[in-house]
Amino acid sequence: MCIAVPGEIIDLFPPQARVKLMGVETTINIQLIESPKIGEYVLVHGGCAIEKINRAYFDDLFNIFISIIDEDEKKDG
Amino acid sequence: MDKGLARYLINEINLMATEEIKIMEVCGTHTQMISKLGLRSLLAPKIKLLSGPGCPVCVTDERYIDRAIEIIKKYDVTIATFGDMIRVGGMEGSLLEAKGKGRDVRIIYSPLDLIKMAEENRDRNIVFLGIGFETTAPVIALTIKTAAERGIENLFCLTAIKLMPPILDYILKQPSHNVGGLICPGHVATIKGSDYFRFIGVDYCIPAAVCGFEASDILIGIHYLVKQIRQNKKAAFKNLYRRYVRSQGNPIANQLIEDVFKVSCGVWRGIGRVESSTLDLNEKYARFDAKQVFAVEEKSIKSTSCECKDILLGNRTPKECKLFAQLCNPVKPYGPCMISSEGACAIAYRYREEI
Repeated sequence: MCIAVPGEIIDLFPPQARVKLMGVETTINIQLIESPKIGEYVLVHGGCAIEKINRAYFDDLFNIFISIIDEDEKKDG
Repeated sequence: MDKGLARYLINEINLMATEEIKIMEVCGTHTQMISKLGLRSLLAPKIKLLSGPGCPVCVTDERYIDRAIEIIKKYDVTIATFGDMIRVGGMEGSLLEAKGKGRDVRIIYSPLDLIKMAEENRDRNIVFLGIGFETTAPVIALTIKTAAERGIENLFCLTAIKLMPPILDYILKQPSHNVGGLICPGHVATIKGSDYFRFIGVDYCIPAAVCGFEASDILIGIHYLVKQIRQNKKAAFKNLYRRYVRSQGNPIANQLIEDVFKVSCGVWRGIGRVESSTLDLNEKYARFDAKQVFAVEEKSIKSTSCECKDILLGNRTPKECKLFAQLCNPVKPYGPCMISSEGACAIAYRYREEI
């Protein structure tokens, strides 16, 4: 039930926004996030954006994995 | 999904699996994805993936559903609910059965849709079944706060919002628990922050990781946990879902939770009472509390002979229950794990897993 899906903001009319969720357009509430902007991606749960995406960690899971290994090895010395 | 990465991770995990390692997840979406992806069949038999109490529908007390049905019978209100709840039976039947008898039961997608529904039907009382974990709590809080600001007087909430840390405490304090590592629920952490789960390593010396829901997310999580277990790094903790999870979570959402709710003792279906494990409306918003406004007689619980409690606590798997797929199935569920489509037994049944 805690499922949430990412969507792109395509229009803003606070406290709501129009988003594209997996190809489908819908209207969501944006009161739980700070300063949303058109073009940004948000995580949507129960008709509400609950977080903005951090693009720095979005695109490349492989590099996240490598960075985790690197962090561990640095800590291990 | 990056197939090369998935293949690499599965191979690495299996190479490390020289002894039995039990990893628990506590989110219905993780349960679903692990089965849907067939991860158990891809990982070495010594890697055991357990499904804990991660489905809020499953762990909602029977008496809560009976209370909702009693309210609709006695007060002729509209019951608004998430779709997941409508088939779930209490001791007096389900909301779907009540709807079939002509009661006004409506499925909603967002609690915020209730604002419009209440404003357009001022002469009719609406009772919303507010269930979920921390992920859903701020959306429910926002709905109640908006209703208060708009002077809506015909919307009420029957709350049964569950909290993760108390039930994890409950599981990990059981002397018989055999959880070696914990996959923490990514969307609960989106709201509460990854630090919300750091206590697992600190208090219980069990490695834990906040994970997302793609195949690679889950495999990276399992790889991380197995590696920590093998290297005896018992207090290890990592946020592996950094694209959506900050260390302190979403401050607006948490402020709303604090403004609207108070922490209370909760009853978990199949488990029982767990201290400080649920959110109720606080005094400021008590006028929206359906428990107080619509008084009904509370029913007692009939016991079942299923193994759901042990399954929820990670001591048994669905297949180890003597009722599984025989007397207990999705058409006629006996216990909480079969009741909801996100329950461990319902998922094991659907994907015919040999677990």
